[in-house]
Amino acid sequence: MTETTAPATLPMTMVEMIKVAKDYPPKVTALSDISLSIPRGEFLFLIGMSGAGKTTLLKLIAAMEQPTRGLIEVAGCDITKLKGRSLALQRRRIGMAYQDFKLLTEQTVAYNIAIAMEVAYRKPQEIHTTVRDLLEQLQLADKHDTPAGELSRGEQQRVTLARAVANDPELLLIDEPTGNLDTTTTVRVMELLRRRHTAGATLIIATHDPAIYQGSPHRTLELHRGRLHTLNPGTDPQIGKGEQA
Amino acid sequence: MNFWLAVFRQLGRNLRQTWTSQLMTLITVSLSVLIFSFFYLIYCNMLSAGGRLGNDLRLIVYLEEEPGPEMQEQLRRRITDFERVEKIRFISPEQALDLFAGQLGQNRDLLTDVPSDFLPPSMEVTPLKNLRGLHQVSLLADFLDTLPGTIKVQYGQEWVERFYAFTRLLSIIVLLSGTLLVLTATFMVSYTIRLTILGREDEIELLRLVGATNGYIRTPFLLEGVLQGCMGSALGLGSLYLLFQWTLNHFSGPSILNIFSLTFLSLPILAIIIGTAMALCGIASHISMRRALRI
Ligand SMILES: Nc1ncnc2c1ncn2[C@@H]1O[C@H](COP(=O)(O)OP(=O)(O)OP(=O)(O)O)[C@@H](O)[C@H]1O
Ligand SMILES: [Mg+2]
Repeated sequence: MTETTAPATLPMTMVEMIKVAKDYPPKVTALSDISLSIPRGEFLFLIGMSGAGKTTLLKLIAAMEQPTRGLIEVAGCDITKLKGRSLALQRRRIGMAYQDFKLLTEQTVAYNIAIAMEVAYRKPQEIHTTVRDLLEQLQLADKHDTPAGELSRGEQQRVTLARAVANDPELLLIDEPTGNLDTTTTVRVMELLRRRHTAGATLIIATHDPAIYQGSPHRTLELHRGRLHTLNPGTDPQIGKGEQA
Repeated sequence: MNFWLAVFRQLGRNLRQTWTSQLMTLITVSLSVLIFSFFYLIYCNMLSAGGRLGNDLRLIVYLEEEPGPEMQEQLRRRITDFERVEKIRFISPEQALDLFAGQLGQNRDLLTDVPSDFLPPSMEVTPLKNLRGLHQVSLLADFLDTLPGTIKVQYGQEWVERFYAFTRLLSIIVLLSGTLLVLTATFMVSYTIRLTILGREDEIELLRLVGATNGYIRTPFLLEGVLQGCMGSALGLGSLYLLFQWTLNHFSGPSILNIFSLTFLSLPILAIIIGTAMALCGIASHISMRRALRI
């Protein structure tokens, strides 16, 4: 099952997972024996039935959960060993759009997006323009000062996406980006993500919406009962076209 | 620089979100500082008043007969062996009569026919001018009574004892209210900060996820505590000052207060009180963070 060849040259590899397993006590095995190498600049789809372990895999990469077994390296760092300040710095390089949104329902939409930039000490002016720009692109311009709790689910989904991309992360983990969206809005969201990809970001999108992964040239992996299968090896010309390439 | 900008923005949000409990804490802190510094102010003024009154405090020891130079030396040694004193002075019957005549002023003619040894010889002992000296006065008096040749020891006995008891009571009150200050301030501050943290648990969780450092998350809470301590104690001391001024204005003129000639707490003392309150509140917020943020 081990797909890894020689130890990957770090700068070119964004995510390296070797024989990773995740159990949730007492007896849920969410992932078992996952080995996966994602080059910098790849656009990857992760699909699978509900409960297959997609979110768990993304959480492991984002260092929100610790693997039960195995090794995970993200951008050359063993994430199981990160602590304190270096963990914080690592997380700023990763943007994640959460399946459960994780919005502060009493805070404005603008603050919910800005928070990711504030922790990185971006300048207030820069934060302001970026937030406006993102809201514009996601057709939420009139919601700038609305409390996030008052939005519809489709709108909240886009806010969480905007927060994920706001700080220009190298790695984007997008969990279920289009679950609550109509076709037109889905297209807009995918356009935004594609622009990020073109700009050099590595993308992993977990979804069960065939509309966005079927017929795409990108590598598509399927999770089934905690194991990984390649559904489409991809003919992606973008692989490796990262900042450091 | 950007760190502090972010921290202050965060602090502002915290204060705005929980301003009612912030206000309660501020009032509690300032009240306890007010109570403590009120008693401390009285205590300080009592001490200096005691010092001033102590200037007039002397023990007069009436002797059977006038001691010769050798005897004087011996008495001196025995007294200073027992207790350090400010001064010992021997007064012969003639000197005593002169002093008395001086006190009579125009009526000194009354004394023309009085024999020069009309008044007994005496010894005047001035105790050290501090609180311990005052406390020792009665012990000293008892001791002087046992010296050979002593007829009687005279001093403002009751006054001294009352003054001493009062000052000691006051020092206990100062200590108690100081403890109260420490307890209430730390308790209230750590309570409000806990409240703030609990009210913002989701946000703190999210901050961690998007890569906020521990310093970024904790510093606002720490500042919140320090700010509470600073503002609370300044407010408390400010109201004490107003109270003090009011008292001065309303009780000026010929009254008992003039003996005391009241003074306010000195600047270094004020700075120490404010600094202590800030440190305490900072520690309090640190404690509640340790609990609530699972550092
Ligand atoms: N915190 C947790 N504690 C215990 N079990 C968990 C936890 N999180 C996930 N699981 C379990 O792990 C398995 C994988 O869950 P995961 O959320 O990764 O699935 P998913 O592929 O994202 O599903 P969906 O498409 O519905 O989002 C599930 O069986 C789930 O019940
Ligand atoms: Mg999921």
